Amino acid sequence: MKSLSKIDAQSCEQELSKFKHTFALIVSTLREIFDESAYDRFLHRSQLAPSRGAYAAFRKEYEVSKARRSRCC
Amino acid sequence: MSKTFRVVIWIAVAVLGALALATVALHRGEQINAMWLVVAAVCTYALGYRFYSKFIAAKILALDSQRATPAERLENGRDFVPTNKWVVFGHHFAAIAGPGPLVGPVLAAQFGYLPGTLWILTGAVFGGCVQDFVILLFSIRRDGKSLTEMARDEVGRVGGLVAYVAVISIIVILLGVCALVVVNALKASPWGTFTIAMTIPIALLMGFYLRTLRPGKVLETSALGFVLVMLAIWGGQWVSQTPSLAGWFTLSATSLAFLIIIYGFAASALPVWLLLAPRDYLSTFVKLGTIGLLSLGIIALRPSLHMPPLTRFIDGTGPVFAGNVFPFAFITIACGAISGFHALISSGTTPKLIRRETQARMVGYGAMMAESLVAIMAMIAACVLQPGIYFAINSPAGIVGQAPEVAAATITNWGFPISAAEMHALAQSIGEQTLYNRTGGAPAFAVGMAHIFSHSLGGQALMAIWYHFAIMFEALFILTVLDAGTRVGRFMLQDALGHVWKPLGRTSWYPSILTTSALIVGAWGYFLWQGVKDPLGGINSLWPLFGISNQLLATVAMCVATTIIIKMGKVRYSAVTLLPLLWLVAITFTASWHKIFDPNPRIGFLSHAAQLASGPAANARLIFNDRLDAVVTGTLIAMISLTLIESAWVWVRVLSGSTQPKLKESPFVATRFATEEQA
Repeated sequence: MKSLSKIDAQSCEQELSKFKHTFALIVSTLREIFDESAYDRFLHRSQLAPSRGAYAAFRKEYEVSKARRSRCC
Repeated sequence: MSKTFRVVIWIAVAVLGALALATVALHRGEQINAMWLVVAAVCTYALGYRFYSKFIAAKILALDSQRATPAERLENGRDFVPTNKWVVFGHHFAAIAGPGPLVGPVLAAQFGYLPGTLWILTGAVFGGCVQDFVILLFSIRRDGKSLTEMARDEVGRVGGLVAYVAVISIIVILLGVCALVVVNALKASPWGTFTIAMTIPIALLMGFYLRTLRPGKVLETSALGFVLVMLAIWGGQWVSQTPSLAGWFTLSATSLAFLIIIYGFAASALPVWLLLAPRDYLSTFVKLGTIGLLSLGIIALRPSLHMPPLTRFIDGTGPVFAGNVFPFAFITIACGAISGFHALISSGTTPKLIRRETQARMVGYGAMMAESLVAIMAMIAACVLQPGIYFAINSPAGIVGQAPEVAAATITNWGFPISAAEMHALAQSIGEQTLYNRTGGAPAFAVGMAHIFSHSLGGQALMAIWYHFAIMFEALFILTVLDAGTRVGRFMLQDALGHVWKPLGRTSWYPSILTTSALIVGAWGYFLWQGVKDPLGGINSLWPLFGISNQLLATVAMCVATTIIIKMGKVRYSAVTLLPLLWLVAITFTASWHKIFDPNPRIGFLSHAAQLASGPAANARLIFNDRLDAVVTGTLIAMISLTLIESAWVWVRVLSGSTQPKLKESPFVATRFATEEQA
């Protein structure tokens, strides 16, 4: 019985970790689509802390390239 | 998993898919359940992905897991960023999925559900997915170059120029027809117009929130915007029921067209952050959520299809648009089967994000399959409606008559019974005055979607809310396509005009911004105006024009792909792109011929112009429009013919050995990710 509950706990943990991984992936995808990751990369690259000024600078830089992107019909 | 078990699983998928396809194709007489379409689609995609895309990846493209991608070699944290494959997949899907896969299948449903469904499945697996995959990979091997650049480098100068002109043309025609779809959905609809009008202050508020209160928290801001939009939908009902307010938002088609033209110009000339960026986020948020919700709704409800597999209109006499099932079903559904526009995305942002070359298969081929599934869902949404309702909504007044009783009698005479009282009750149940003559596909899709949603969630009481939710969803992201497309067109024009006079090429110089914005908006605004003034509803002439130009862009993409494959020394596999190319040539050239020269005035532009000219009250403007459409179609075909000739000339020279094939690929650099993963 003891080993059975151990297996149950193990498989439960595995399932939980899979779920966490999937959830993290969905969040990363949404963050990429919604440019939050691009902002993080900008902060990292420019050595800036998150702030209004930093976000304004990010938008200024980013919008030039973003505005040139086609969007399909 | 053992090999035998895998073989058994794939045989089971193949048998199930064949059974579902046979049911969809051969079932006659009784209604079939929509799940047969879903099962047929999922099995077809699974087989296509597992076997066909793997064959292309291994035999033709020879995807190399050791080769560094531009995202790795040119990584700059801005444009070139190695990204997780699922994240790139989501990003790519969000960029390719627009209103096209929703509107095209709804319009093509006039032939019945069968032609459109078969074309969506075969077109995607053998055409669209292949195009997106190979163009993505070829762009990856060329530092993320665009389709236009690849056409110039690999085919020749004419190919490059034609690709450029085709892109500009498709943008202009696409924007004109998209705007027309919005106008037809919102005309005389105070509820819908109020909701869409409210998205402007909501977007401004989101922009303020995003810049000052919570900088960078886009997901949170979009969720907040979504809540506000839902409140606007709820408020729209109140506005539509309050006569003093309803008057303000009850607009004619011409007023709406005028407002959209002003909006397009402002969107192109104003700073992006002010309105467009927040709207873009809001639109993407709503789009992804609604597509997910629609799939769940179809699976939960498993509705029956009321539309027959084939209707009498396969003979070309359809009221939604005129023309035989061949070639018109195949140009009406572009996105969802094969869309040239995707080649721009596959050679745009996506190749700069791919971390490993081997991931191009999942992103390029896989994301197109997902879009194709969206097209299948749109087909289901249209076909769950009673055919009489479908035709009453989608037929222009010029065909069925203006009065409800006359329209209902005409449609009933076609064999699709409907009464004026039924249509009135339906309009009342969704909070509209009338549903007649709402051409363009969006309202029919919204009614179908509201039907599915209300039967799965909330019952009949929420039908009106769901309908206006669907209209808001479509109009919002069509307007996003409109403003983003106007900007892209403006930049392309500035790039070209910069060669004529340098200051015009400066993207931050205001006289240039205003001039090029006016030119682009004027061009698509003209098509919109033409559609609004067209007694046949505009869609009859403009949607085929859009379909032709989109498929012609796919023709250019397939020319580029075939040329590269031949230059790679893989001529024995060139049928993979050559056959879809020949099919595209067959449908676009046949459709263009009909649109220009067909003696039936409902199909041929020139015969329609001649009919108008010989009539008692000749309208010079309408005659000019017909002739203009004929010239535009003819010019596109002539240019694509030049690309085909230039491509064929390159193939002959390479195959005859008179020239050494030179591929303009970036040199091989080993990826560091392979060793990192091994470690």
